[in-house]
Amino acid sequence: MTFPSPQDRIELTREIIPNATVAREVRADEDGAVATFDGCVRNHSHGRSTLYLEYEAYESMALAKMQEIAEHVHNSFAINRVAIVHRLGRLEIGETSVFIAVSAAHRAAAFDACRYAIDNLKKTVPIWKKEFFADGAVWADGEVPPLPAAAAETPAAKPASN
Amino acid sequence: MFVKVLYFGRLKEIAGSSEESVELRDGERIEDLFARCSSSRPELRKFRSSLVAARNREFAAWDTELSGGDEVGFLPPVSGG
Repeated sequence: MTFPSPQDRIELTREIIPNATVAREVRADEDGAVATFDGCVRNHSHGRSTLYLEYEAYESMALAKMQEIAEHVHNSFAINRVAIVHRLGRLEIGETSVFIAVSAAHRAAAFDACRYAIDNLKKTVPIWKKEFFADGAVWADGEVPPLPAAAAETPAAKPASN
Repeated sequence: MFVKVLYFGRLKEIAGSSEESVELRDGERIEDLFARCSSSRPELRKFRSSLVAARNREFAAWDTELSGGDEVGFLPPVSGG
């Protein structure tokens, strides 16, 4: 089997994500489960009423990191296909900002891979969210991505390796 | 040599642009580049401790040496999802 599957769908889009289509397309006849995660825009944040959100990305790097997540879930869980689609631009309350779908022969792998994918997307994919309220806008508090071991800070006394 | 610098999120608003070209001397590192970029925009320095740098679309340590033509992104904490 080749990983990632050519049927994987890794995408950034400024259009409404066709959730049902994405979920249907990951399923094949050998699958017994499709797990999905629908991340959607909430109408409140830290006790304030949200009007809408805007997302932006370092697009080329974000796609590369989403692809790495897809490769990791193929290597770590007994799944068939994975779709990771993230929306950019202005999003209204209730709209989907990220949709993940994973197919597998059995449910445990599908659930686990789906959970891994969203948790790691939130930590490592360079996408930013700005929250707009009636009285102003703020960039959402985010997570500081961990450096890969190879890129970790080297001690000051040691010459850099590259 | 020149490198391409990209700013995102709140950094883009502080920098006043999303992209610029910066001239470096041979052997300079990402931290030297950030010092140059923030010398005319002291506001940027306040964010140094929460930033992660990327070199050519891969996370990179601050002491990574740069080469001409590199693309360096200064990334605030990420908040996708």
